[in-house]
Amino acid sequence: MSDPSSINGGSVVAMVGKDCVAIGCDMRLGMQALTVSNDFPKIFQFNNAFLGLTGLATDVITLSEVFRYKVNLYNLREERKIEPETFANLVSSSLYEKRFGPYFVGPVVAGINSKSGHPYICGFDLIGCINFAKDFVVGGTSSEQLFGMCESLWEPDLEPDDLFETISQALLNAQDRDAMSGWGAIVYIITKDKVVKRLLKTRQD
Amino acid sequence: MYSEPYIDPASAHAAAAPIEHRFNPYSDNGGTILAIAGSDFAVLAGDTRHTTGYSINSRFQPKVHTLPCDPPILVSANGYSADGDTLVRRLGQRVQWYSYNHNKAISVAACARLIQTMLYGKRFFPYYVHTIVAGLDEEGRGAVYSFDPVGSYEREQCRAGGAAASLIMPFLDNQVNLKNQYDVQTGEPKTAVYLSLDDTIKLVKDAFSSATERHIHVGDHLEIKIITKEGVKVEYFPLKRD
Repeated sequence: MSDPSSINGGSVVAMVGKDCVAIGCDMRLGMQALTVSNDFPKIFQFNNAFLGLTGLATDVITLSEVFRYKVNLYNLREERKIEPETFANLVSSSLYEKRFGPYFVGPVVAGINSKSGHPYICGFDLIGCINFAKDFVVGGTSSEQLFGMCESLWEPDLEPDDLFETISQALLNAQDRDAMSGWGAIVYIITKDKVVKRLLKTRQD
Repeated sequence: MYSEPYIDPASAHAAAAPIEHRFNPYSDNGGTILAIAGSDFAVLAGDTRHTTGYSINSRFQPKVHTLPCDPPILVSANGYSADGDTLVRRLGQRVQWYSYNHNKAISVAACARLIQTMLYGKRFFPYYVHTIVAGLDEEGRGAVYSFDPVGSYEREQCRAGGAAASLIMPFLDNQVNLKNQYDVQTGEPKTAVYLSLDDTIKLVKDAFSSATERHIHVGDHLEIKIITKEGVKVEYFPLKRD
């Protein structure tokens, strides 16, 4: 367990619905088997884009601040909000910049384009290769469990309430089968004119 | 991984380290199995793909076996297929000897304990398998027992084993044992109820279709064996072949 991407644990998942997207994460921060904190959210908002970051916790914090800095500069230069597609490319190029000494992360981006209203999600590997998914993306130590859950629960064109139930059940049941994830969960349901953040009541073990 | 240490070809030739060759007695043949117990039935299902690494050796190599006893017992040992086949063959012999010695068919509970002793008997050179047994208990209810490679076992309502166990197991927690589901009226956690045979088979097909979609070692065909007091029925279902 000296693999940097599974020292601290944690997982994220994002899904597309009908004119909405959802992104969720667990709340655990650990050092190998020892849980250090149950208040470690892994989703960060940058204007119209939401970024889920799993992997090595030090890199999660560093990158979230790097992107805060870069998005602030974007806002000053462009005098407009960053869209999810643009942010995804920013994430990709920032990660590839560290091609031979990478950040040990598994990022996921979700959001709705404020101009077109199109839902957008994507995932990345640690050096920034983008996975453009139409349905769902997963990341973190319970990614196998999340793949199994999402592949069997997800269906096209879910309304926001149904999408919330689907992503929550996928996340909760996946993290309950992973010792490195859990200890609380957060889910964001994003529609064109509203963002709802929910803290889920979960098993604490 | 993405980086390998750079070795200068010239110095590599000069300081050619001795290469150690070693026989490896194990390999992984992929595949996944799944068992669910009902009120008066049990099902044991498995895909029929047989692999080594990225190669598909066979698209139809069934691995869910019916033991030669009456009432029948279903067993599958998933993992390294040579060990699985050997375990099932020897178990079949032991089950027949049991009927000769005791003049009665073996119960699933006794069969499970027998498997434990057989697996633990090879504690220091284990059968490299995840074993699942399904049958009807002495009250006629569905019974599922699952084992680790060295014989630690437990009776359960459902269990997935093999390559895609990590994909299927949380789905089973959610849909069979109703984990993380709450009653809308009372707000209390839902408690598991027995599924009908039709619903069980639908669930098994969904679980395998999903696992096939995301796991390269699962696919080709699904073989579902259903055990009731009438005997064993077999159902086949096509899975994706890519």
